[in-house]
Amino acid sequence: MAGFMIRRLLYMIPMMFVISIVTFIIIQLPPGDFLTALTARLASQNETIDPGVLAGLRERYGLDQPLIVQYWKWISGILLRGDFGQSFDWNKPVSELIWSRLNLTMVVSLITLIFVWAVAFPIGIYSAVRQYSVGDYVATFFGFLGLAIPSFLLALVLMYFSAHYFGLSIGGLFSPEYMNAAWSWGKLWDLMKHMWIPVIVLGTGATAALIRIMRANLLDELNKPYVDMARARGLSETRLLLKYPVRVALNPFVSTLGWVLPHLVSGAVVVSIVLSLPTTGPLLLSALFAQDMYLAGSIILLMSILTLIGTLISDLLLAWLDPRIRNG
Amino acid sequence: MKLVRDLPRQAACAAVLALVVGAGWAGAAVAFQESPQLKALVDAKKLPPVDKRLPAKPLVLAPLQSVGSYGGTWRTATFGGGDSEIERSIGYTRLVRWNPEWTEVIPDIAESFEVNADATEYTFTLREGTRWSDGEPFSADDLIFWDEHVLRNKEITPSPPAWLTAGGEPVKVEKLGDYKVVFRFKAPNGLFLMNMATIRGADILAASPAHYLKKFHKDFNPEGIAALVKQAGAADWVQLFNNKISFPGRWRDVGRPVLDAWMLAAPYVGTSQVVAERNPYYAKVDTAGNQLPYLDKVTIDVMEDTQAIILKAINGEIDMQNRFIETTDARPVIVQNQEKGGYRLFIARPAWSNALLITLNQTHKNKVLRKVFSDKNFRIGLSHAINREELNQLIYAGQSKPYQAAPREGSALYDEQMATQYLKYDVNLANRYLDKAGLTTRDAEGYRLGPDGRRVTFAIDVLTGSPIQSDALELIQRYWRTVGIDMQPRPTERSLIFARLQTNENDGIGWVGGGGYDFLGLLDPKWYFPHEYESSFATAWGLYYQNPNDPNAEEPSEEAKKQMDLYRKVQQSATLEQQLAAMKELLAITRDQFYIIGTNLEPDRVGIVKKNMRNVPDVIPSTSFYMIPGPVKPETFYYEN
Repeated sequence: MAGFMIRRLLYMIPMMFVISIVTFIIIQLPPGDFLTALTARLASQNETIDPGVLAGLRERYGLDQPLIVQYWKWISGILLRGDFGQSFDWNKPVSELIWSRLNLTMVVSLITLIFVWAVAFPIGIYSAVRQYSVGDYVATFFGFLGLAIPSFLLALVLMYFSAHYFGLSIGGLFSPEYMNAAWSWGKLWDLMKHMWIPVIVLGTGATAALIRIMRANLLDELNKPYVDMARARGLSETRLLLKYPVRVALNPFVSTLGWVLPHLVSGAVVVSIVLSLPTTGPLLLSALFAQDMYLAGSIILLMSILTLIGTLISDLLLAWLDPRIRNG
Repeated sequence: MKLVRDLPRQAACAAVLALVVGAGWAGAAVAFQESPQLKALVDAKKLPPVDKRLPAKPLVLAPLQSVGSYGGTWRTATFGGGDSEIERSIGYTRLVRWNPEWTEVIPDIAESFEVNADATEYTFTLREGTRWSDGEPFSADDLIFWDEHVLRNKEITPSPPAWLTAGGEPVKVEKLGDYKVVFRFKAPNGLFLMNMATIRGADILAASPAHYLKKFHKDFNPEGIAALVKQAGAADWVQLFNNKISFPGRWRDVGRPVLDAWMLAAPYVGTSQVVAERNPYYAKVDTAGNQLPYLDKVTIDVMEDTQAIILKAINGEIDMQNRFIETTDARPVIVQNQEKGGYRLFIARPAWSNALLITLNQTHKNKVLRKVFSDKNFRIGLSHAINREELNQLIYAGQSKPYQAAPREGSALYDEQMATQYLKYDVNLANRYLDKAGLTTRDAEGYRLGPDGRRVTFAIDVLTGSPIQSDALELIQRYWRTVGIDMQPRPTERSLIFARLQTNENDGIGWVGGGGYDFLGLLDPKWYFPHEYESSFATAWGLYYQNPNDPNAEEPSEEAKKQMDLYRKVQQSATLEQQLAAMKELLAITRDQFYIIGTNLEPDRVGIVKKNMRNVPDVIPSTSFYMIPGPVKPETFYYEN
């Protein structure tokens, strides 16, 4: 087990290096640079930028230097000083922009994950045990419905309803009065009041998939001889179900844990934009449009690290859960 | 001044009195009033009395409709991280500003200004007793600090802005007295005051509070600067300083001294809410001697999505705004929900000459296309082939009218012929012109062949973010196919369009046209002559105007050169009359050259304003150059109870 851990950790180092290079190349691929994007953005609103100011910015941001120099500046800053560079668009250190959003992204992701599991897990078991019953069909129907509705549309509809019928303010995770306030019980409650929309919107699609996976896996297990044998020995139905078949069927839940983070971050971009959530998705998108390379690069890099860590955690959990993997 | 019937009597009397006395009073005779909020602070000895906070002769603003009452919050929303809504709503304070009608430049923080005959010297007289929001006096020394230690500091300003430079030298500010300065240019700079009235002008006063900024300046604080840089997490002191004075960094600096009506209380960061509160030292009063602003607070919600802003509006969470909710597709929703949202509408009149211009690059790298595009008959033919009335009905819901790329009616630069030539939809006429352009042979599918015997085909780039323009171009593609011309609309991401323009790689673009109002034409003439690479009807000539040595630049035609000389004349004239006269000459050449094909006028847009909010005009020019809503004096907005 220890050897397995160390090996995995060592693999991560060259992986990160490659990711950082690929990230940087991808960000440089579109024509022009941050200042081209800035000029274009202003022009599309019929604004102009002073040519003198433009020349000054180009020099200050070091955009006139070769790519390799720009890359080295960025990566050496991260490795040596933990400094992710400056965002051009915000004129602020990247780290300042990212951390607060990353925290909220994690909170939203975790709550969504818990919601998805809490819904999918019991329904999946029920659907398997009572296969082809009315309950199974109803659950499946709603699950597929959730999968089929485009999430941004659902977000708009829920936003409209919450504003229209509950009088909640539109968008974001906080009401105006708590937006800039320090953390308190009131603020937490306010967050919860806003949180249900993104959680439901982000969760619906994943829920359907997990219900089906759970159902299919459990059906496989339930028809195996050891279940009959346990039943013959007089084990209670609940105990019998949870002791082995469910444990085995849990495998996909755990192995998807590693992808949940990147999925929630990337898949949730459109939803986050529609809901004006202060998460990393919209920040990444606007950074890519603005060609704000240090910001976009740092977000992608951090996301990649999180994905690697998530995969590692899910592998460890799987090993703990399933002896076949541990000793295989 | 109109007096509204249900005005509180006291205020009405005061207003009448003010009318009798006249707006420019002698000072001491009138006691100023202030908001109850500030009164409480004065009574608690936390703030000097209002007479001590105001200049002896403050600027008197005549409210549009009526003298107002104190209190209330103005709620607006903005989009994304770098948008300048905040500059327009609560940052529109300068030495000089636009008047609300957008016909002249008027004094703002400066009491008065004078220009010499050759537009090289601008003398400003400041108001004695004007104070920063922290109570420190504002004087000539502040402007000297900006000039010597910000503008002329090579580290902070590696290359000075063009509007502050003339004859290759940045402006030199000289002190004539504690409240009198002169801005000296090496060569004439006729558009200086107009530029100051736009978004650019904010940079001067933002970098002027010397008493506050010296701490962050290496020359004044050599010992302590390193610690401050570290504390702020800035890369170096230059960045730290720039974040205090430039947009958008300065809007994250709570406590920064300003001369604006409201000062920052919660910063402009990410998705959140910006809050600004009343500036107790604001140096303007109404005609009844009440210190402005009337409204206690301004909040700006920073949203990630424009749809969410529209939802906010119809939900009644926005009090006065036009940007982000004035798009053509949002209009029905905004208009229908007036009752529910508790707002009325005002007209935000686009300052643009055209909803969609089509340019054809006459300096194309492809010799054949260049020859075809350069033929005026070709462009006239294409213009006659467009069914503008149908476009108007299908795309602009009949709210628009056929129009060429020309100044709007009612502006000083308006030229009827220029605005209306070649508008008639007539396929036969179009075909005759295209034949005249020498494109007489056609291929099996009916497309015309160019001089090289191949089909004339080209792409028009249009913004992916403007579906309405794409739709219009699709229709135009059909109209032009009827006369045998193959045009491909090409929705393209913004930066890519610009990357192509910078290297003269474009066939042409479809874009919204500026220059509808006089000042916009003067300040942003790119659609009237080859002024820069964005003048996509002759990109290489535009590059030449900016820098003749640019690798992609080409020597312009005689007419274009004449226009360039005329625009230099505009820049060197000291009075608006002279500038407009030179501009008219320039536009006459534009008219005869017919560089650009216009389609329809941009329809009037609507903004919203709370039903009981007063002193908001019914029609406001809408463009970033005008800084909507700044010039219509938000400090005089108030709620009627």
